[in-house]
Amino acid sequence: MRSVWKFFASVKLAIVLLILLAVASVIGTLIPQGRPPAEYAAHYGQLAGLFTGLHLTSLYHSGWFLVLLFFFAVNTIVCTLSRLPAKWRRAFGPKVEAEPSGLMALKVKSRFGKNVPFAEAQAKLETLLSSRHYRVKRQSAEKRLYVLAQKRKFGHFGSDAVHFGLLVIIGGGIVSGVAGFRTQMELSEGQTVAVPRAPFEIRLDRFETEYYPQGMVKAWKSTVTVVEGGAGILTQAILVNKPLTYKGFSFYQTSYGSNWDQPKLEVTIKKKTDPAFARTVALTVGERAAVDDKDVSQISVKRFVPDFVIGEGNQIETRSQEPNNPAAQVEGWKGEKRVFSGWIFANYPDFEQMHSGQPTDLSFVLKSFRGSEYSVLEAARDPGVWLIWIGCLLVTAGFFLAFYWPPREIRAVLEEGRDRTEITAGGHAAKGRESFEAEFEALMDSLRRSS
Amino acid sequence: MNESTLFTTTFILYILSAFFFLTLLFSKKDKWGKAGLGLATAGLVFHTAALLLRTFQSGHAPFTNMYESLSFLSWAMVLAYILIDRKFRIPRIGPYLMLIVVGLVALASSPLMPKEATPLVPALQSYWLWLHVSVTLLGEAFFAVAFITSILYLTADSEEKKAKMDSVSYRCVAVGFPLFTLGGLVFGMVWAYKAWGTYWSWDPKEVWSLITWLVFALYLHTRIVMGWKGKRSAIIAVVGFLAALFTYFGVNYLLSGLHSYA
Repeated sequence: MRSVWKFFASVKLAIVLLILLAVASVIGTLIPQGRPPAEYAAHYGQLAGLFTGLHLTSLYHSGWFLVLLFFFAVNTIVCTLSRLPAKWRRAFGPKVEAEPSGLMALKVKSRFGKNVPFAEAQAKLETLLSSRHYRVKRQSAEKRLYVLAQKRKFGHFGSDAVHFGLLVIIGGGIVSGVAGFRTQMELSEGQTVAVPRAPFEIRLDRFETEYYPQGMVKAWKSTVTVVEGGAGILTQAILVNKPLTYKGFSFYQTSYGSNWDQPKLEVTIKKKTDPAFARTVALTVGERAAVDDKDVSQISVKRFVPDFVIGEGNQIETRSQEPNNPAAQVEGWKGEKRVFSGWIFANYPDFEQMHSGQPTDLSFVLKSFRGSEYSVLEAARDPGVWLIWIGCLLVTAGFFLAFYWPPREIRAVLEEGRDRTEITAGGHAAKGRESFEAEFEALMDSLRRSS
Repeated sequence: MNESTLFTTTFILYILSAFFFLTLLFSKKDKWGKAGLGLATAGLVFHTAALLLRTFQSGHAPFTNMYESLSFLSWAMVLAYILIDRKFRIPRIGPYLMLIVVGLVALASSPLMPKEATPLVPALQSYWLWLHVSVTLLGEAFFAVAFITSILYLTADSEEKKAKMDSVSYRCVAVGFPLFTLGGLVFGMVWAYKAWGTYWSWDPKEVWSLITWLVFALYLHTRIVMGWKGKRSAIIAVVGFLAALFTYFGVNYLLSGLHSYA
């Protein structure tokens, strides 16, 4: 047990672990993480087996990386604890008593006599120390007074606060990993979806993409309503950087897209013989609209694709779900007899090729199309996040204490003579020694000169 | 004056400053260093005006693309140098620092960098952009000064110069490391949580910030607990700066991840 403690109390171990963690982290950025196995095989060939065997492809979640972090945490705890008692004594329980010879052995020191009574010298010294924000403790002995003055005692614990903060952050990470939960929810406008593990549902009222005048995307905005027990509780817009939080669950705008299963279309009908004629009808796929023409009684849209392409085997396909080349297949009917069929393109209104049994006077323009938009929200509950923020505060405060709140300590022994007091003083500052020396000199100077 | 005139004036002042500082390397007269510092300070004034003007005109923080970010980083480096010089009177940093600054500003001015201020993409519309980027880059600017003093330590010929460089280098890390931790890691985690719903996602830029952090943690532990000073300390500070540089620059061009803005 003792040797285990000794092993973990070593700063050398800390240094080895810092180096190992850094090297492991570098490797994890050089090998892409969490890709499908086939990709590694294609990219690295024979090395792929080695990489997956050593868990280098999911390095930050691998057992050995977690063991490294565990060692780092234990090392931090043991190192901090083993140094804490000495620091504590130095900050809160130092002996007030000190021998003048001991003080004279310090680097920062002073010794002189003053022709004032003992009590007066003591009062002067204490006033001077308090004016420079020192807290003074004193202890009397025969013909002697010991003075201990300290300030910025908490500066001793800067590194401990950083270490403790890091442990709290690691703890928060564990809580997030074990108890946290996240999932993606795809919602179409008007759709209500139950949030997994939550006692409520989310309804997407509206999804909008806002643009700047220059045409760049300004915002993706999902207006959602929290539904609990069938009733709408609150309605709020979720934007990137502006999540909605309700009962410990947060919802983030993550992605969006259009669903083209039931697009709403508008087709303008024109007549070749009558250029002034134009009539627009609203249609969905499969729906028929009446047409006032001698050869055609109705038209319908058989199919819509957002990104028209002729694929292998001359099949008509969509290249993507983005409306890059929207096209509709229009059919004309006379009673139940199909008289023509052909594709029209929103981006190429002049291109039209109708396959018809008989010539037709009609032509068509795909005037507008609208898929139902869906929004992808990330739902997350992370009970570890508060520990992360507390840890971050401790780390930040610890850095401030460690670098900019240097503790200082001045001791003095006053020895009583006849109408004269002999003063010996010495001081100690682990950091910022130069400015401490200057302060000490100034203090002693004013004490010497005061009458 | 418009922003581009201000920026060009800044560039010219920085080049002149670097020129006078370089003269200092060959002639040890104080006046060259003073002229270099004066011109750098004048350049900083114009640079500040250029950044402010851009902020008012674009309506957002002046570090949303590589051009703006390089400009801000060089501004922070000149500021860090002037602050360090006020405290330690160390003109020998000047030539090297101003050469790097001129290089960065030249890179920012190159035709490869699109300069027009574009409206903010949704991911950057947050006041955390200000806090996260400015504090991180300021921390990195102090790392850059620590890097130069460490190189000067390694190449110095007298013990007196070495002692001074070692101490200034440590003081720069003592400023840069807390700033980098606060801006890069703490503010970065807060913003990531707000934008993406997770404070840490092992994105390459995050990991490289962590690597930089680990190197400077190593610097402090070896120095304060194990008493490594001088050469070994200087080497670790150089490695730390290179890691910070890679975090800032290399990750964007060599690794892919979530931080696809600048």
